[in-house]
Amino acid sequence: MLENLFVGVADWLRSLLGGIGFLPVEIAESIVFLVKLVAILVFILINALWLVYMERKIAAYMQARIGPNRVGPKGLLQTTADIGKLLCKEIVIPKNADLVVFLLAPVLIFVPTLMVFAVIPLGKNMAALDMNIGLFYLLAIASVSTLFFWMAGWSSNNKYSLVGSMRVVAQMVSYELPLVLSLLGVIMIVGSLKMSDIIAAQNSVWFIFTQPIAFLIYFIAAVAETNRTPFCLVEGESEIIAGPYTEYGGMAFAMFFLAEYANIMVICAVTTIVFLGGWHAPLGLTFIPSWVWFFLKMYALIFVVMWFRWTFPRIRVDQLMGFGWKVLVPLSLANIFVTGIGMYIYRAIGW
Amino acid sequence: MFGKGLVKGMQITWKEFWAKKLTVEYPDKLHPTPERFHGKFTLDVDKCIACGLCANACPNRVITLNKQKVGKKQYLTDYVMSIQYCLYCGLCVESCNKDALHFSRDFNMNQYFYKDIPLVLVRREALAEPGEEPEDGAEKPKPKAKAEGNKAAEQASKPAAADSEAAASAEAPAKEGQ
Repeated sequence: MLENLFVGVADWLRSLLGGIGFLPVEIAESIVFLVKLVAILVFILINALWLVYMERKIAAYMQARIGPNRVGPKGLLQTTADIGKLLCKEIVIPKNADLVVFLLAPVLIFVPTLMVFAVIPLGKNMAALDMNIGLFYLLAIASVSTLFFWMAGWSSNNKYSLVGSMRVVAQMVSYELPLVLSLLGVIMIVGSLKMSDIIAAQNSVWFIFTQPIAFLIYFIAAVAETNRTPFCLVEGESEIIAGPYTEYGGMAFAMFFLAEYANIMVICAVTTIVFLGGWHAPLGLTFIPSWVWFFLKMYALIFVVMWFRWTFPRIRVDQLMGFGWKVLVPLSLANIFVTGIGMYIYRAIGW
Repeated sequence: MFGKGLVKGMQITWKEFWAKKLTVEYPDKLHPTPERFHGKFTLDVDKCIACGLCANACPNRVITLNKQKVGKKQYLTDYVMSIQYCLYCGLCVESCNKDALHFSRDFNMNQYFYKDIPLVLVRREALAEPGEEPEDGAEKPKPKAKAEGNKAAEQASKPAAADSEAAASAEAPAKEGQ
């Protein structure tokens, strides 16, 4: 019952639209798909709001503080109040800014995140779209967000923004490589880019146990992709104020801010799918619905990302580049090599 | 080993995550203040002899005190501390011979209006007929009247009391105005 809650809702909607009769199947299907996307959008936004609160609470707890606890019960409405305040604020546009690009960047920053969520299975049969190139699509779309950071930094016509966005581009492009290469080991084992196939292959053993190095590389690179501490030199406030966001205020800034949390959600969801068995229940605890398991795993990873942030100091640009190109890339290539040899050996012994 | 420090750092923050929180939610809860806390001043008016040592001891001239002679004794009419200039050194408390001036543990002296900031510890009319020593209340007015220099010592006590009371009340507003 609970297991098929959301799938049931989709089926019910589909049969309802089918029951109308005169509606062609394609239109009914597209309406269902639209509902799914709206649901995903709402899901992302609510989660982003919650994650800001969670981040602040975790930060406080790790510093022996209490954190927000005045607005609403336990401070739960703190982010809502913050967003309300940001909505009320004027969006100041710098005199020499490239107006169209400047205003477009914060709007578009959410687009890749939303598009990526279309292929993420949030539970058993719960992907809005189960493409056969799912993982490839995801990586391709996710890397587009580099462009919007660059747009924001360039159009602000501000040296700090420019330096910050140059750092974004350098960092995201450099870490895209180990990110993709680390996933390659898993894809080689599965032999498919389809999300449901990757999850199905982890029915017995999660890939974190068979590909631990790939997991580490992926997770580090993913944290770098989202520009989070220790890789947050993009917005290193001690050097370049706030990087690409320097000139943004009000809701335009809030969009970047929420997109950061949405991106954390994306990378943690992908890590869950690829390495932590997706919606598979561990230890045979199948009485808990699959989407709850997915959610728990994703949030455990999000906690780890936040834990990183409140533990590690920011690294330097040269350290970042050195670590990416001299450590992560060779390591991920070696991982692919070892995985390939391992696959041949297993095939040779007939496993 | 590479990465050992990272793991150690994460262990520390993990421990800290579950540790007891140090925040004291101020308006709801207060830190226990130490016994010798330098907070708001309290003045034991009955002990004060209006000697003015505290006012002299103050490095910032925070204390303004007005007194009046009632009989042989100095009678304190005003004791106002311009608390915005006070540095809570405690020299006034130390200088008090009669152990009348004290610190309390209350540190919340903020005011909405500037004029409300001065800490008024005593503001009262001078006693012409001392009500505080009832046993020799009948005798007092006579020396008081003498001090005023108006009447002879052996005059009827009642009118003299009335006289000096009027004089005192006339004097008090003048001092307040200073």
